[in-house]
Amino acid sequence: MTEVQFYGYGLAGVHDTHLPGKLIVLEGPDGVGRSTQIALLREWLEASGYAVFSSGLRRSELASVGIEEAKKGHTLGNLTMALFYAVDFADRLEREIIPALRAGFVVLTDRYMYSLIARAIVRGVDEKWIRSLMGFALVPDAIFYLKSDVEHLIPRVLGSRGFDYWESGMDFLGNPDYYESFIDYQTRMLSVFAALSKEYGFIEIDANQSIRQVFVSLREHIAEIVRELKPTQIEALLPQASDPPEPKTTT
Amino acid sequence: MATLPDGTPLPGKLFVVEGIDGSGKSTQLDLLYKWLISSGYCVAFSEWNSSPLVRQTTKRGKKKHLLTPTTFCLIHAADFAHRHQQQIIPALKAGAIVLADRYIYTAFARDVARGVNPQWVREVYSFAVTPTVALYFRVPLEESLRRIMSGRPKLKYYEAGLDLGLSDDPYESYRIFQGRILREYERIVQEFNLSVIDASLPLVTQQEIVRNIIRPHLEGALRAEPNPWRNVLTAEGLSGRYLNSLTHEGENP
Repeated sequence: MTEVQFYGYGLAGVHDTHLPGKLIVLEGPDGVGRSTQIALLREWLEASGYAVFSSGLRRSELASVGIEEAKKGHTLGNLTMALFYAVDFADRLEREIIPALRAGFVVLTDRYMYSLIARAIVRGVDEKWIRSLMGFALVPDAIFYLKSDVEHLIPRVLGSRGFDYWESGMDFLGNPDYYESFIDYQTRMLSVFAALSKEYGFIEIDANQSIRQVFVSLREHIAEIVRELKPTQIEALLPQASDPPEPKTTT
Repeated sequence: MATLPDGTPLPGKLFVVEGIDGSGKSTQLDLLYKWLISSGYCVAFSEWNSSPLVRQTTKRGKKKHLLTPTTFCLIHAADFAHRHQQQIIPALKAGAIVLADRYIYTAFARDVARGVNPQWVREVYSFAVTPTVALYFRVPLEESLRRIMSGRPKLKYYEAGLDLGLSDDPYESYRIFQGRILREYERIVQEFNLSVIDASLPLVTQQEIVRNIIRPHLEGALRAEPNPWRNVLTAEGLSGRYLNSLTHEGENP
């Protein structure tokens, strides 16, 4: 990240102008395979000598348990949901992501503010309000959007966890049929994502390809981004032969 | 009238009290509540930072000192959004009176005193209903500190503003933090036209002023017969032994 930039008013107390790490976001619908790709990318990056920190929604120390509890009760209103997720996001950003970027890590995040914006918009939240709310978010180095369609998502979701209450929009669509609701909700989400993709400059990856093909295209893009983290002239940095040997320490 | 941000009027009335700790606002709101109930109005009550939905998270954040100015702000906004959608708006739609002990102005004062962008916090709360009347209890800093400190209470970490590193001494930190909040309130009074009450006046005098301000706004507010079972008791010659315990459980503040 060459220059620190926020989408809106920024974060109170964060005055960094430059963060040496790289912030890379994977976005995409439920069941598209984001976490599989992050696991693959992490392994490849670490093997290539990069330090990686990975993060994702609802993994904050502060709010993960609380959101889980609130979702169980099914009483989470659309604004409260947006704000509760914002707590989780801000906590991870301030106490994990930014410190990792400061230390020169490559941060891979499974979803970012775009998913939170999309979920709020399909639930009828004011578009200006949700964008302003998320104004504390850092502008990432790259946003990859794993693009798919509902027909391809259904078998993947059924093959793993099955239809989830929230991923089917059961909280607001008013249709008791999970299958129909899932299709309706995911279709709405995809159309909002299509608009966000243009607005925020997503790099679109066709996620209907094989896992291998998706990985290869992500790897190609990311290799470009992380390259500058490597020193250009390693020879100059190596210890010189004439240097006195390190004194032996006894413990 | 209370009005939605888009200008839609709601039939109910929203009265809120604001002021720093030790301004006596809660005492005044309680007296107002008792007057309204005894006058036969249907009154709902909503208190800052009271929703069960985020309680565990707030507790966790405070206990482990995880909260930053931004998450502190957002967590209170989540609490407010929940109460707004579940208590305040429905009651106002029904035409009831809603009393709020602290409202969005508390966030504007505290969060900005913590360094959060003032414009951002106003936008975060832009979904909130505009109150019918917002009362601000103005008290000099020294007076409020005297009231709070008379028992030398143990000040909590965030309450004292210790997260801001203003001073290592909780009492000194609290004094500086309250001073900042007070300055923000003065800005807010101008910006949102709050009704200022001199909180150094005697309690009873303040309550008379409060009632005089509120009275003209009561017309058309929903009424509720207080304790409607009372007539049954008289007519049937019952004592109401079990009803007493029932009303105790569901007691309002």
